[in-house]
Amino acid sequence: MITMEEKKIPLLNTLEKHCEDLDQNSTSAWFKTLRQEALARFLTLGIPTTKNEDYKYTNLSVLSSRHFKPVTKAALPTDHQLSKICSQNDITLVFVNGILDENLSSYHQLPKGLTILPLEKELSDNGSSIKNLLNQHDLTKENRFTSLNRALINSGCYLHIADKVIIEKLIHIIHITQCKESGLTAPSTFIVVDQSAQATVMETHIGTANNAYVAVAATEIFLKNNAILHYCKAQSESLNAYHLGNTRVWQERDSHFDGFALMNGGEVTRNDLDIVSNGEGTSSTLNGFYGLTGKQHVDNHSSMDHRWPNCTSNQLYKGLLNGESHSVFNGKIFVRQIAQKTNSYQLNKNLILGVNCRVDTKPQLEIFADDVKCTHGATIGQLNEDEIFYLQTRGISKKDAVKLLAHGFVQDILEKIHHPAIIQKLNILLEPTFAALEE
Amino acid sequence: MSKGEEKLLNEKTIQENTLSSRDYKYGFFTDIETDSIPKGLSENTIRLICEKKKEPQWMLEWRLKAYRHWTTMKEPQWPNFQYGPIDYQDLSYYSAPKQKAAGPAKIEDVDPELIKTFDRLGIPLTEQKRLTGVAVDAIFDSVSVGTTHQAELAKVGVIFCSMSEAIEQHPDLIKKYLGSVVPYSDNFFAALNAAVFSDGSFCYIPQGVRCPLELSTYFRINAAQSGQFERTLIVAEDSSYVSYLEGCTAPMRDENQLHAAVVELITLDNAEIKYSTVQNWYAGDKEGNGGIYNFVTKRGKCIGKNSKISWTQVEAGSAITWKYPSVILQGDNSVGKFYSVALTNNRMQADTGTKMIHIGKNTKSTVVSKGISTDESNNSYRGLIKIMPSADGARNFSQCDSMLIGNKCSANTFPYIEVKNNSAVLEHEASTSKINADQIFYLQSRGLDLEGAISLIINGFCKDVFKELPMEFAVEAVKLLEMKLEGSVG
Repeated sequence: MITMEEKKIPLLNTLEKHCEDLDQNSTSAWFKTLRQEALARFLTLGIPTTKNEDYKYTNLSVLSSRHFKPVTKAALPTDHQLSKICSQNDITLVFVNGILDENLSSYHQLPKGLTILPLEKELSDNGSSIKNLLNQHDLTKENRFTSLNRALINSGCYLHIADKVIIEKLIHIIHITQCKESGLTAPSTFIVVDQSAQATVMETHIGTANNAYVAVAATEIFLKNNAILHYCKAQSESLNAYHLGNTRVWQERDSHFDGFALMNGGEVTRNDLDIVSNGEGTSSTLNGFYGLTGKQHVDNHSSMDHRWPNCTSNQLYKGLLNGESHSVFNGKIFVRQIAQKTNSYQLNKNLILGVNCRVDTKPQLEIFADDVKCTHGATIGQLNEDEIFYLQTRGISKKDAVKLLAHGFVQDILEKIHHPAIIQKLNILLEPTFAALEE
Repeated sequence: MSKGEEKLLNEKTIQENTLSSRDYKYGFFTDIETDSIPKGLSENTIRLICEKKKEPQWMLEWRLKAYRHWTTMKEPQWPNFQYGPIDYQDLSYYSAPKQKAAGPAKIEDVDPELIKTFDRLGIPLTEQKRLTGVAVDAIFDSVSVGTTHQAELAKVGVIFCSMSEAIEQHPDLIKKYLGSVVPYSDNFFAALNAAVFSDGSFCYIPQGVRCPLELSTYFRINAAQSGQFERTLIVAEDSSYVSYLEGCTAPMRDENQLHAAVVELITLDNAEIKYSTVQNWYAGDKEGNGGIYNFVTKRGKCIGKNSKISWTQVEAGSAITWKYPSVILQGDNSVGKFYSVALTNNRMQADTGTKMIHIGKNTKSTVVSKGISTDESNNSYRGLIKIMPSADGARNFSQCDSMLIGNKCSANTFPYIEVKNNSAVLEHEASTSKINADQIFYLQSRGLDLEGAISLIINGFCKDVFKELPMEFAVEAVKLLEMKLEGSVG
């Protein structure tokens, strides 16, 4: 299945063996097939090079050169910052290296209509609900790292909100990776919101100390008719980590997806957000913020696929670049021929503060229907000298002025988030980004 | 066939053309004796071209080097359109109207049939009828048939002649500049062009001269089963200025013809080149049969400080348009501009846009692109704005708008923005929308008919670009769009 040249890549070499080990421990036959098919897909696609248009600006050659081994169970060190972002008011699930930690989590007195299952349990019952959901996607066009995640699927979280149930509390899923070096984790999350139900979910990815590892995260979201989901993905991995994330959203008629993505951790991040609007009248919001310092690299890819008429989508991604960081933005909007009256908006704004920063942005429209309104835009610039000067005349030091204006740039987009608890957590996660401004 | 019959046939073809596709009045074919070489491409073909054109040894070597490089290259597969495979061995790489007399071509010596052809295209070559203020180099298939106003231009030191003449008379300039902006190794079609290019225009504006006339090249493909590969080179020395126009047409044929040209512009300190194109190659019929494949490499290089290059294009023809007129902003404070209207109808496909490469300090670029797609056509904007680390204070503004008329067409935008300098300021905006129903209704309520209303709205949509064109061209461009849109709306 893999060529001679690829045999030399340690990651690919050990992958097959590892999947076999996983298969021996699992009971469900479907689960095994899922894993094997995904592995085959990943091995066919391989590790991308920068010659691949989708990875033109993101070099992932480290995956070929370094030997990453799937992580195993580990105990958290005592100095982790988990307590800062956990709150008694939320429903919290903490996964350490992909395994649910009962002691750190609090999800036992759940409101009626909300089901939270560790993935192992859902899968051992044949995984029928997940099976049906996954079948909606065209697997042949699947993202290669989603396939890699599936190939390693073992644990994770399955979340289900029943018909007409509104969950007020924030559901907070935390993935924390603890490993000495070169580990590989594959956290998976499944969220299903049934008809006319509502929920708010936050998914946080963090690491301990400055460990170097790869997190291949995949989240599947299914919104049934008229469902509403407020979703936030916060990626604050350790500064030496690689994060390869993929969030797929499937929207049925009149559903509303309100998403936000924070990316401020990791050495190299690649995050894909794919939304399929598969019913009339859906609305989608895709907002995001990335704050980079040092030599960080973040690559945000999003794809909004309008397959039905009368849908709207709104996207705003903002970035703050410091040091020698590099950001990539690629936003695609597809409007199929049938999707008349689509209203789609996309904007990417970059604020460059560092001297050797690099920004590559590519907002993209592909439109096959005529009665639509689609706009996109991108800006790259610096802080306004006049604004800094104004603040200085009021007795504020230049450093503080810069910080104040940068805060304003971020605050503007944080305010669009629906749940106050999320904003509060994001502000905590953003602390290192602002601390870097003072250097 | 007697002359009279032939004339009748030609007139008939014109009438048929007017009826069948109403919008392509240049689809006639001039039956003229030609001197063409057999089909096929090899080193011998290139030697043959060189021999025909009596080119010096260095030129032959340059061509062979390009050819050998071309054989190692693969045809690019990334564009956002489909076209059938091109058999490069099934083309004739040289076709020229037979010369009546040997020696340098003077307008007076040109075959009257050719003059008539250009008259019918609205390009009078004879001295007394010439458009005032415009000097024309007329290119028919592979060769230049005549250049007007040469003497007048020579008075101020401007060289304006065909490429063949330039190779013969100004070898130093050609050696210095040919291939300096688009090297033969640049891309597949540029390499092919460098190997087999047959003619083109050369223009040299000396230091401190503001070219008194608008210069213009008119390209006409006539022969069947041939490709047109011409090369244009414009050099503007310190503090000079030139405005250059380009027009193109071809007969209506069922098979596709390849047009792979290369245009190179060079500006030194304080110089300015304004390059305008109205492209109206035959675009194929309603079912998408025939038409020209317009695969062109156009690039300008602002070498000097404060220099300026501006591209203005109206793309209304060709079965496939695939080109990205670009500017390399090397000199400090240099300025690059790109204004484009691309109209596609029937089954035309266009993948066009620009590249602005900022290298010098305080360089500025502006991109305004308007795409209109109707019927079953596909219109893409693809652009690159690249700010290199050395380009302090670079500034770019890009705007690309698309308008869709009809529900079977598509519009795509692929803008690439790469910034490696922290002092750059860039803005990019794009929109895609339908023609506004309220605006149509308003105009109709004022007594305009539907077509008139749409034409007026489109005119307004493209105004930013049209106003950059020289006056005569702007009028022509407006008419061209009106003609193209006729019948495809409503």
